[in-house]
Order: sequence, then structure tokens, then C-alpha cells
Amino acid sequence: MTKLRQALAIVDWSGWLGAAIVVAMVGAAVLAPWIAPFDPVAVNIEDRLTAPDAVHWLGTDQAGRDVFSRILFGARASLAVGIGAVLIGGLIGVSAGIFAAYKGGLAELAVMRVVDAVASIPLLVWAIAIVGVLGVGPVQVGPLSLPNEVKIVVLVGCLFSPVFARVTHAVARRVVSADFVKARWLQGAGHWAIVTGDVLPNCLSPIIVQATLLVAIGIVVEASVSFVGLGVQPPAASWGTMLSDARNAIYSGEWWLPVFPGLAISITVVGFNLLGDAVRDLFDPRSEARTLVA
Amino acid sequence: MSAPILSLSGVTKSYPRGGMLGSVFGARAPVLALDDVSLDVMAGDVVGIVGESGSGKSTLAQLAVGLTRPTAGTIRLGGEDLGLLMRDHAGPWRRRIQMAFQDSSSALNPRKSIGRCLEETLVLAGVDKAARPAEAAALLGRVGLGAEMLPRLPHELSGGQRQRVGLARALAMKPDVLIADEPVSALDVSLQAQVINLLGRLTGELGLTLLFISHDLALVRALCRRVIVMRKGRIVEEGPCLQVLESPRDDYTRLLLSAVPKGIEGRRRPPARTSNPEFPRP
Repeated sequence: MTKLRQALAIVDWSGWLGAAIVVAMVGAAVLAPWIAPFDPVAVNIEDRLTAPDAVHWLGTDQAGRDVFSRILFGARASLAVGIGAVLIGGLIGVSAGIFAAYKGGLAELAVMRVVDAVASIPLLVWAIAIVGVLGVGPVQVGPLSLPNEVKIVVLVGCLFSPVFARVTHAVARRVVSADFVKARWLQGAGHWAIVTGDVLPNCLSPIIVQATLLVAIGIVVEASVSFVGLGVQPPAASWGTMLSDARNAIYSGEWWLPVFPGLAISITVVGFNLLGDAVRDLFDPRSEARTLVA
Repeated sequence: MSAPILSLSGVTKSYPRGGMLGSVFGARAPVLALDDVSLDVMAGDVVGIVGESGSGKSTLAQLAVGLTRPTAGTIRLGGEDLGLLMRDHAGPWRRRIQMAFQDSSSALNPRKSIGRCLEETLVLAGVDKAARPAEAAALLGRVGLGAEMLPRLPHELSGGQRQRVGLARALAMKPDVLIADEPVSALDVSLQAQVINLLGRLTGELGLTLLFISHDLALVRALCRRVIVMRKGRIVEEGPCLQVLESPRDDYTRLLLSAVPKGIEGRRRPPARTSNPEFPRP
């Protein structure tokens, strides 16, 4: 317990701010049905385009829907895509990167060239092209009917995997050649034990930093895909669709329509970035020594 | 006693030049790291292997423990072909030969406490779970460290302490043969003496067979009974330590000796001050 407290002592205010933002956003997404003051899809023409006031804290949109409630529900789509895509991409990419670094030789060459090939096409182009081809309807996988969001999570996850693969490969190459890995090998430890016990833990800090950065990018990708109409389908709320709907309001004076979803995206992205920096410091065993010395 | 515990016969190791593409398009001759080396090490021997950088000392060490396979020739451990033994990766033969590494900061996993590092070694050495904590503490005691080191992480130890933990880890497998690849060249002089004394004591107490690889002739003289001089992948001279170092027959050995600064004529103990001479390339 004291060890944890010592470790946490190195987290500075920006790390705590990042953690607070992320916790708040995740909390908002999870608790949206209970804390949202209004139904996010309920149309109320009489109250349309009201400026922020005591009833509608962040105003209402063209259909009279409460912007605050829609942002809370929109956090679900944004965070689901951001976090889900990072988990999928991390699983694929980290496995591929470690496999390539550990195996070496032709396998390494083959895996990393495939990674290069996938990474050579820009993320958004991939996303829009594939969703465009597959369409925005639900996907039928056996007995399951998966909504469009799942398609985007898997797709963005696959597109993230080369980034993870490269980062992991770069650091794992160094770890694999370290003497402690050779020592384990000489003791007769198996590949799996070496990879999970010695290689992976020493690759984690750049992977985690990358993961938090990619959550932020995932949120932006979801917003972008939804903005062009290929993501979350109306009337469901997402920050991207809200921005898209707000395009025309920018010139007609309803400033709250683009500003608040835009702020939500920006704050969440900054929050994940700050958290990423703090987590990287936490995972560095040497940074602990710094506080013990100081 | 008659059969050698470790024997190399006609061992050659070559690396392709220019990486993988170089080996495919093989325009240039491969690099010969070890060229037809034969060597017998008897049980209980303390053998020093000296030579300049690139002479093949470390390649020899890696081949002997099975980290790489020879291009040609056979290596026998206790009379059995290492190539055949290696088919059983985690076989009991692993306990017969272990290695201590040069760079103590790379030799220990920075995320594992000393205790965990030793205990997971003891798992593979076949020690019962209940006996492991006591055994780990005993191993640390053997290398002159206290049990208070067990919960620490490698970065909380000094280089000399880490090097001794590395030795303790190798000893945890209860090896017959220990290969120490430049175990002290990354340490400062007072720590070098500690580790050399420790190695000397361990070979005496445990009857350990030691291959001590070094470029520091003074340390080899202090520790070893027999010395092998290597150059460009070949053994140029071998024999009893005193004989080779006092009256070398080979020109290269003479050159190595003349490169050692004057004033370190200590015999059976490490000198108070040593240096790491840069051997001139002939």
C-alpha cells in the first residue's frame, strides 16, 4: 500500500487532471441514462434552438433536443470507439510486434512489411472507404446483428494495429536481445513464459502511452466518420453527428450547437493525453527511484 | 575425471555479412567468428579465456551454453552432444551449464524483484515451492548479499550487487559449469576484486568448473589455473596460467602481455589497481 502511495506521488497535477477528465467522461458515458436531464432523441419543436438557460444547460438543437443530454449519450459512442478500437488494435498490434521481434528472421520481415502495407494508407481514407463499401446498416454475424458502431470499432481497431505493432516491435527488439531474456532461455524457460514474463512487461510503457494517444485519435475518427454520415446514425447522438448537424448553425448564430460537442471532443482528447503521460511515468521503474531519492 | 565435462571439437561459427539479404545474395564471404576451435575442459577446471575484442571469446561462450549453434563441429557437455541435448529445451541438462553476463544492468529484468528473479529460477531448477524463499536467501548469502535484497528491484542495487545477483541466479540452477563472460569488466576496480574473490571462493567451495572470459590478464592470473589465448577466432596458445603468462611462446600473447601497464605483478590476488588495457591490433 505504501508502495502504491509512493508511486502515485510522482503523478503531478496534469496527470490528476487527465485522470479526472477521463473518469468524468467514462462516468458520463456509463451513467448517461440516469443523469441526463432529458431524453436525447425526444423531439420538442416548441423548444427548438433555445440558448443555454436554467432548463437546457447547454441549449437545444434544431429539433428541440437537449444538447447536454445528447453530449452525455454521445460520450458512449465516442468512448466506445476510442477505447474499443485501442483494445482491438492493441491486441492485434502488440501480438504482431512482439512475435516479429521475438521470432526474428523471415517471420519478422514478413510481419513488419504487412504492417507497413496496412499503415501506408491513411486511417480516415480506410475508414471512410470501408464503411462506404459495407454500408451503414447493421452487420449480420451468425445469429448476432451488430450495429454500425461495432463495425467502426473493429475497423478502427484494425487500422490502429500497425501503429501498435511498430511501437511494440521497436521496443521489443531491444528487450529481446537483453541478457535477462537469454538468462531465462538458458534456464529452460518456455517461449510463453519469457514473452509474458520478461518481454511484454518491459515493452509496456511506450505501448500504454501510444494507447492513450490512440484513444484520443479514435474519438476524433469516430467524430469524423459520423460527421460525414457513415458513423453513428441519426437520431442517436454522437459528438461527430452533433457537429455535423451544427454546421449550418455556425453562421446563423446558434453558437452552442458546434461549441459544446467540439469542447467535449477537445477536453476528452486532452484528458487522455495527460493521463497517458502520467501513466508512462508510473510504469517507468526508474521514475519511482527519483521520488525515493528526492 | 578422465572425460572432459565440456569439449569443443573443430567448432567453427560464421556469421553472414550484411544481414539476411547478404546471406541470400551472398556476394561477400561470411565473417568467421570462430575458426576450427578444439578445447577440452575438465571438471573442476578454472580456465581463463583472453583475447582482444572480436577474438571470438564471447562467441565461444554463447556456443558452449547453446545460445547459438555452431556452423561446423561438435560441442559435448558431459560427453553428450549439445545439439541433441538442445532438442529438449527445458531438459535437466540445463542445470549443468549456466552463464553469468557482462552487463549487470541488462542481465536482470528491471521489473522483477531480486527475490522473484531467483525464485522463478528455482522453479526451473526443480525446487519445491515451500523451500524456495529460504533457498533464495541462501543463494544471496552465498554471493555475500543479505536477504534484505530480496524485495528490491535491480535499479536499487549497485552494479557490483547486481553482478552478484546474476551469479546467484546462475548458481540457483546448481550448474557443474559456469561460463562468466567478462563478469567484471563493467565494474569499478574495488568491485572487480570482490567479484573475483567470490568466483575464486565458489570454485573452491562448490567444485564449480569455471570458464572465465576476460581481456584483463591480471584478473585471469589471479583466478585461473589454465589460460587460453584467442585471436581472430583461433586459439593461439594455451597452457597453465603461470607458464603462459610468464613465458609466452606465441608472439601475440607476448604482445598482449606487453600491453598491460607495469606495476601489476600481483600473483594470486587481484591487484589493488588494474586497468583495462586497449590491446593494439597487430
